[in-house]
Amino acid sequence: MIVNTNWLKKYTDYSYSAEELAERLTAIGLESNLIPDKAAGLEEVLIAEILAVNPHPNADRLTVCIVTTGEKQFAVVCGAPNVKKGLKVPLALVGSTLPNGMILKPIKIRGVASEGMLCAEDELGISEDHSGIMILDENAIVGGRLADYLASNDRSLEIDLTPNRPDCTSHIGVAREIALMTGNELYKPDINLSESESATSAYISVGIEDQIGCPRYAARLVQGVKIGPSPDWLVKALASIGQRSINNVVDAANYVLMETGHPLHTFDYANLKGQKIVVRRAKAGEKVVTLDGIERELSDDILLICDGERPVAIAGIMGLANSEIEKDTRDVLIESAYFNPRIIRRGSRYLGLQTEASYRFERGADYEGAIYALERGAELIAEVAGGRVCRGVVDEYPKPIESPKIVLRYERTNRLIGMKFEPEWVKKVLVGLGCDILNSNAQEVAVRVPSWRPDLEREIDLIEEVVRIYGMSRVPSTKTLQMIPNISTDDRYDRIEKLRSFMATCGYSELYCNSLVSARATEFGFEPVKPVKLRNPLSQDMTFLRTSLIPGMIAAIKHNFNRRRFDLRLFELGHVQAYAPEEETQARESLRLGALLTGYFDEPNWAYPRRKTNSFILKGLADTLAHEFGVCNLNYSKAENLFFKRLVKISAGKKVLGYFGELAPDYLGKDWDIEEPVFGMELDADFLLKQVNLAKIYKEPPVFPSTERDLSIVVKCEILVGDIMKKIRQNGGDLLREIRFYDLYLGKNVDKNEKSLTFNLLFQADDRTLTDAEVDQIMATIHSNLSRELNARLR
Amino acid sequence: MDLLNRIDEVRAQLQNDIQQVGADPQAAENLRIKYLGKKGLISVLFADFNSIPAEQKPQIGRVLNILKKDAEARIQALSEKLKATSSQDEFFDYSLPGLTPAVGHLHPITQTLNRVIAIFREIGFVVEFGPEVETDYNNFQALNFADDHPARDMQDTFFIDEKRLLRTHTSPIQIRTMLKKKPPIRILAPGRVYRNEAINPRSHCVFHQVEGLYVDENVTFSELKTTLEVFAWRFFGADVKTRFRPGFFPFTEPSAEMDISCFICAGKGCRLCKYTGWLEILGCGMVDPNVFKNVGIDPEKYTGYAFGMGIDRTALLKYGIGDIRLYFDGDVRFLEQF
Repeated sequence: MIVNTNWLKKYTDYSYSAEELAERLTAIGLESNLIPDKAAGLEEVLIAEILAVNPHPNADRLTVCIVTTGEKQFAVVCGAPNVKKGLKVPLALVGSTLPNGMILKPIKIRGVASEGMLCAEDELGISEDHSGIMILDENAIVGGRLADYLASNDRSLEIDLTPNRPDCTSHIGVAREIALMTGNELYKPDINLSESESATSAYISVGIEDQIGCPRYAARLVQGVKIGPSPDWLVKALASIGQRSINNVVDAANYVLMETGHPLHTFDYANLKGQKIVVRRAKAGEKVVTLDGIERELSDDILLICDGERPVAIAGIMGLANSEIEKDTRDVLIESAYFNPRIIRRGSRYLGLQTEASYRFERGADYEGAIYALERGAELIAEVAGGRVCRGVVDEYPKPIESPKIVLRYERTNRLIGMKFEPEWVKKVLVGLGCDILNSNAQEVAVRVPSWRPDLEREIDLIEEVVRIYGMSRVPSTKTLQMIPNISTDDRYDRIEKLRSFMATCGYSELYCNSLVSARATEFGFEPVKPVKLRNPLSQDMTFLRTSLIPGMIAAIKHNFNRRRFDLRLFELGHVQAYAPEEETQARESLRLGALLTGYFDEPNWAYPRRKTNSFILKGLADTLAHEFGVCNLNYSKAENLFFKRLVKISAGKKVLGYFGELAPDYLGKDWDIEEPVFGMELDADFLLKQVNLAKIYKEPPVFPSTERDLSIVVKCEILVGDIMKKIRQNGGDLLREIRFYDLYLGKNVDKNEKSLTFNLLFQADDRTLTDAEVDQIMATIHSNLSRELNARLR
Repeated sequence: MDLLNRIDEVRAQLQNDIQQVGADPQAAENLRIKYLGKKGLISVLFADFNSIPAEQKPQIGRVLNILKKDAEARIQALSEKLKATSSQDEFFDYSLPGLTPAVGHLHPITQTLNRVIAIFREIGFVVEFGPEVETDYNNFQALNFADDHPARDMQDTFFIDEKRLLRTHTSPIQIRTMLKKKPPIRILAPGRVYRNEAINPRSHCVFHQVEGLYVDENVTFSELKTTLEVFAWRFFGADVKTRFRPGFFPFTEPSAEMDISCFICAGKGCRLCKYTGWLEILGCGMVDPNVFKNVGIDPEKYTGYAFGMGIDRTALLKYGIGDIRLYFDGDVRFLEQF
C-alpha cells in the first residue's frame, strides 16, 4: 500500500516530516518505508524553454534546439521527436551531474557542438520512459531547478501492511492512525450530490441469491458521462502512489478506492441486460472472459455478478470484458458491495488472481462504509466526466451486519502488559479508533467496534490496540526475570551438540544440505524405502524429502572439486524421511549422521607422509563414536549395494547402526562426473544418541606393570583379520587386555596366497606382576590354537 | 717391548689423535676402527695379553681393561660432539610451519544456534524438538490460523497431502509441548523449517528457526521485553539498542517485532540496515487466548509469551554473509572460516 504525504493532509493535519511520519507509523505497526525522492540528484538540472527548433545540418533525425534559462541562451543538439517551440523542458548543461553520477562532457554531435542535453525521464531517474524529452507544466519557472519543481514536499510511503489491517488500505485509514497520534481531528470529505429527477431504482434492481457470499450490494447510476482523459490533479494524485491513469471514470473509482479503501466497480450500463443485477455462485466449470482478456474457468466457490442474462463480473475480484467502461460509454452503474472475505479469498486463490479489490475484500471491507464510497464515487465521476447522478441508491442489505460489542477489563490489560494504563486515556484511544463507548465503570469499558475494523473481535484485540497506540517501546521492561524450578532435562540437545563437536574434533567439517531432493537422489539408500513426495514442489529437483544424507553430501564434494579442493572430510547431522514399509500413511523421521572422505586425510606438510583416505578411517570413526556414545558389541558384516563398490554393515546386537564403504566409481562417474575415490558412512544418529551415557564412572588404572608380546604369523589370504583377533582374544584369557594389529605384509618372502600379520598383545593382571613364564604359556596356547584352527604359521 | 709400556704408548697416541681431530664427522668412526676394530691397536694388545705369564695377568688385565673402557668412552664422546657440531643438525629452524591437527569446523548455523540456545538456557529455557513433517492442525489451525485467512499467505507451504505439510515454522512445537505438559512451561524449540518460496540470495525454501515459549501465571509483555533485551545484549553486544513495534502473528496477541540498532553503522544508516538504522531480529508476542483454548489451558488463569527468530538470517547479520545460498553449497572455503 502506497500513500502520499500531501494526499494524507486532506484528511488530518500533521506537521511531521516524511521521515518522521514513516518512523511514527512504523512504531504503531504500519511498517513504512519512504519511496526515494524523485528530486534526489537533480539539483544541477535546470528548467529551460525551447525558443526555436532548427534542423541539424548533417542529420535528418537530429535537431538543434535553441533554449533559454531566462538569462542565457544555449544551442543543444537533440534527437527526441517531441521537441517544440514554447515547451518547458529539463536541461542539463555541460559540467552538470545527473542522478546516475554521470557528468555531462562537452560534445560535438555530427559536427555540431551541443552545450547541454535536454533530458528524458529515464535519464533523470524518474521513470523508465525514454520515448521523448520530459515535458514540464506551463507554469514551471524557467531558469529554476528541476529538483524544486519536482519536490514540493510531495513524498510517498510504502506501507507493508499486516493482513489484519484492511482499514489501512486507504488514505483515510492511515490518516485516522495519524490523528490518533497527534490528537487532531479526522475529516472525511463531505458529499454534495446534485441528483437528477430519474431514480436509480427505475433503471436497476438487485437480487442477491447468495446472501452469505454477498451480505450487501449497493449501486447507483450516473447518466450521460463523457469518457475522456482525467484532469491533471487526478492523474497526478494516482501517479503519486504509482497508479496509471486510464480514463476519467475508471480513475475516479480508483481514487475513491485509494481514499476510502472501499473497492468500487463500474459497469457500462448499456451492456447490462434486463435492468438487473443478480449475485450468485458460479457453476463449476463455467467460463468467463475477464477484462484483462483472459478466459477463466470458475469453481462453485466463486461469486458472480450477473445481469439479467449472463455474468458481468467476478465479484470482488475483477470485472468481465463484456461490461467494462469503453470510450463510448454514456451511462455508468457504480457498484459498492460487501463480499464475504473467505469466499473472495478462496476465489482469488483458485483463479491465481489478486487485484486491488480482492486484496481488500479478502481482508474484510467496511460494510457500513459501502454507501459513503458509492456516494463519493458518484460525486467524483460527475465532477470529472460530467453526467447526471440518478436519484437515490439501490441498496440490497437484507441482514445488516452488527459489529461486535467488546468489554475491555483494565485489570486484565494491566496484568497482561505489565504496567498500569489510565482508564481515561484508554477510553480516548478506543474512541479515536472509531469505537462507540456503550458503558463504562472503574473496572471496565464496553464498546461497539467500528465496521472498518474486522480484526477487532475480542478483548485481547482491544488490549493490543491499547499497547500499540501507547507504544511498545514505551512499555517498561521488568527489572527481574521469573525463573521456574525446572527438573526436566533437555539432554537430547546436549547429545546432539556433543556429537557435532565430536565430529569437528575428529577433523570433519559440517555440511547443511538441502532436504528437498530429486527422485534420483531418493533411490540412493541402504534399505528400500518409500520416499515422501511434495504435492507442490518448487522445482523438479526438489520434489522429495531426502531419504539419505549422502547424495546431498556428494553434491558438496562435487562443488568443492570444481573449486580445486580435493582433500575433504565432511559430515552432516540431519533428518531423513520415509514411509515405513508397513505403514504408508505415516512418514517416519530419523536423524542420521553422514560422513564423507576423499583425497588425503592430512594437510601437506614437511614432516610426515600424508595419508590417503580409505574406508577404514570411517570404520575407525564408527568404532570411536560407538565407544564415545556407549554403543556396545559392534558387529561388522559385508553388504551389497549398487551405489557402493565395497560396503560394510555395522550392527549393534540386532539393530543396524549404519553402513560405510567406498562409493561405486560407476555411480560417482555417471551421476556426478567424479573420478576420484570417495568413502562414505551413514549412521543412525537416533540410536547413537539414545545410548549415550554422559555420566561416567571412574575406574582405578592398573597398579602392576604390563607385559607386551609381538605375534607374527602367516595365514591364507582369505582368513579375516577380525576372526584371527577373535581367536586370539578367546585364547588369551583374562590377562590379555589389548590386541593391536599393526603390520600387514604382502610381497617378497610371502606366498601369493598368503599374508603376514603382526599383532601386539598386552598382558596385565590386577593383583600381581606377571612372570615371563605365565605370559609365555598364554602365548603358546594362542599359537597352538591359531595353527590348529587357522593353519597359521609362526614367523 | 714390555706390554705395560705399549699400553701407555697407545693411551698417549689416542690422546694425541683425539686432540688432532677436526670437524670431519667420520673421524670418530675412523678412530674406533684404528683402536677398537678387529685389528685395532687395543685389540692387538688383548691378543698379546693372552701370551703373557699367568701371574702378570691380573694386574695388566686391569690396566688393559681400563684403557679399553676409556677409549670406548672417549671415542663415543667424540662421536657425539662431532655429530652435534655438524651444521645441518645443529641449525634449529624455529620458523618451520607447525604441524596443525586436522580440525573440522561447525557450520555457522550450528554455531549461531548454539549461542542462542546457550543464552536462553541460562535463563531457564529447556530445549524441545518436533518433527519436520507436521499436521495442518499443529502448524496452522491450533495456532489460530483460520482456514482461508490471508495470514496463511505469509507462509507459503509445501504440502504432502490434505492434512500434512512441511512445517513452516517451529511453532507447532509449542502446541506439542502444551498438549503434553502443564504450565509452567518454558521451552526453546529449534529446527529446520520450509517455505515454498523461490531461492535467492536473501531467502531459501529451507531454513532454520528457534522459538521460545513461556507460560505461567502472571507472564507479562513487560517481562517478554526484558527477556529479549537480555538476549539482544548478550548476543549482539551490550551497546545495541532495541526497539519493539507492533507486528502480526495469528498465534500471539499483542504481537510485536523486535529490531536492534544496526551494529554496522550504530544506527546511522547503511546498506545492511537499508538506511533505517534498525535491523529486524525477531517476532514475538503474548500467546493468543485461542491458542490456549486449543491446547486446553485456561487463558484467564495463565498468560504466556512466545518469540521466534530465523537462525540463518541472524547468522547472515552476525557474520556479514552476503548470500544465504552459501549455507547449502558446502564450500570448504566458506566452512573453514567459522
